[in-house]
Amino acid sequence: MSAPRDNIVTRSLAQIGDCGLFLLQILAAIPRSLRHARETVRQLWFVGAMSLIIIMVCGLFVGMVLGLQLYDVLSIFGGTSATGTVVAIAIYRELGPVVTALLFAGRAGTSVTAEIGLMRATDQIAAMEMMAVDPIAYVAVPRFLAGVIAMPLLCCVFCALGIFGGHLVGVSWLGIDNGTFWSNMTATVDLVKDVLNGVLWKSVVFGGVVSLIAVFQGYTTPPTSEGVAYATTRTVVASSIAILALDFVLTAFLM
Amino acid sequence: MTDSVRAKPDDSAIVRVRGLTTVLNGKTIFDAMDLDIPRGKVTAIMGPSGTGKTTLLKHITGQMRGQSGEVWVDGRNVPALRREQLFELRERIGYLFQNSALLTDFDVFENVAFPLRQHTELPEVLIRNIVLTKLQAVGLRGAARLMPTELSGGMARRVALARAIVFDPMLILYDEPFVGLDPIALNQVLKLIRTLNQTLGITSVLVAHELAAVQQVADHVYLIANGKVVAQGDPKTIADDGSPWTRQFFGGEADGPVPFQYPAGDYAASLGFKGGA
Repeated sequence: MSAPRDNIVTRSLAQIGDCGLFLLQILAAIPRSLRHARETVRQLWFVGAMSLIIIMVCGLFVGMVLGLQLYDVLSIFGGTSATGTVVAIAIYRELGPVVTALLFAGRAGTSVTAEIGLMRATDQIAAMEMMAVDPIAYVAVPRFLAGVIAMPLLCCVFCALGIFGGHLVGVSWLGIDNGTFWSNMTATVDLVKDVLNGVLWKSVVFGGVVSLIAVFQGYTTPPTSEGVAYATTRTVVASSIAILALDFVLTAFLM
Repeated sequence: MTDSVRAKPDDSAIVRVRGLTTVLNGKTIFDAMDLDIPRGKVTAIMGPSGTGKTTLLKHITGQMRGQSGEVWVDGRNVPALRREQLFELRERIGYLFQNSALLTDFDVFENVAFPLRQHTELPEVLIRNIVLTKLQAVGLRGAARLMPTELSGGMARRVALARAIVFDPMLILYDEPFVGLDPIALNQVLKLIRTLNQTLGITSVLVAHELAAVQQVADHVYLIANGKVVAQGDPKTIADDGSPWTRQFFGGEADGPVPFQYPAGDYAASLGFKGGA
């Protein structure tokens, strides 16, 4: 007998369980979706390329404000030459993957949820079923894979723009020596510990989680305008909580 | 209340429903219902709203399974089919959704080409010829590059019909094909249903409320109510069946076997009067 879904705890646990089962369906459908490679590329364009502007602008400003704050604090101890190092480590390890994932959830996750929800509301998913086309393989998997692929790439762009923003404020505006800024940074930042663990692994996991939540919410939404609106909201809320909680877990394991 | 009219078994039936019982949210939709759809004919399923007409189509296509009973389509029991077998069967069934359900990312041409691209490796030139032939059949070859948002309701339904017949199916299911159409569009859809049936021999099942339209196109009518087939027969004569169901449904009476009031508790008690009946 299934558990009664009458309170928020059991409802949330049931949703997590359903989401896990949906992930298994997606993974099982990946081989079938290989023939829809064009659709995956199309989705990569929508969730990846179309998110570039917001990622670049936010990355630049995050780096600039980080450079400004760190210069202010480090100048108390006479350590402004470490500004570049701290900006890079903060961005590679935490801010890059986390902020990119939060932005990705807001920009791409919501659009994926709304799109699939409306496809369900207008019977497009049912029409695919009736045309003997597996909607998991045609609709869910390409969007999921696109998110997993796009997130690390977007995170790299975010990190590059963030460090450029830190350089802009630290070197061009506040007068830190250019050579000191870069040499301290390159001497301290570790390729595996900072770049691979932070930028790559975290962003791949975050991309998978955000895409899964977005696709799941869209796919299971009640086919009404209110249902789609709630599903879109749930995508942002659930993704944000999942990103921050997983960030702690991943950091604890990867450090 | 009229008893269920038992459909006679018929070897030429393309769809055979036997003892179908479906309960949704505690409400019995079908109560051991029997029904046959004759091959090569146009059969209309009629009945009051909420009586399970669209649900019946979902049973035929395997989108839904009942609590018990059998639904045989072209010799295969749909509830017992595996997913791959079901998809195989669906490739031979066209389904026209009430809201057309066109894929909004694609234009008219790509919507009609979609099943071909998904299930065949045909060369582009052949796909183009098949799609244009189907669009010509529904009178919309000139609209091939329009997006679904640029189509009227009637045009969208004709595009959906072109998509439904792109594989020359053995059976087409029309879910309320006449709803929301002006008289011109309605007659165009009527003409298409009849033409497809006569020229290609496609069996058609249509769920509809419009008796005048059904009388023009259907060979056989089932009236479903209360979970069973309550009347069936020739569309010209079924309205004169004389049963309370046919009298209310075809006469458009507000009250009858289908009550005007949704089942509720005692009215006086609901209003707070003590000692209500």
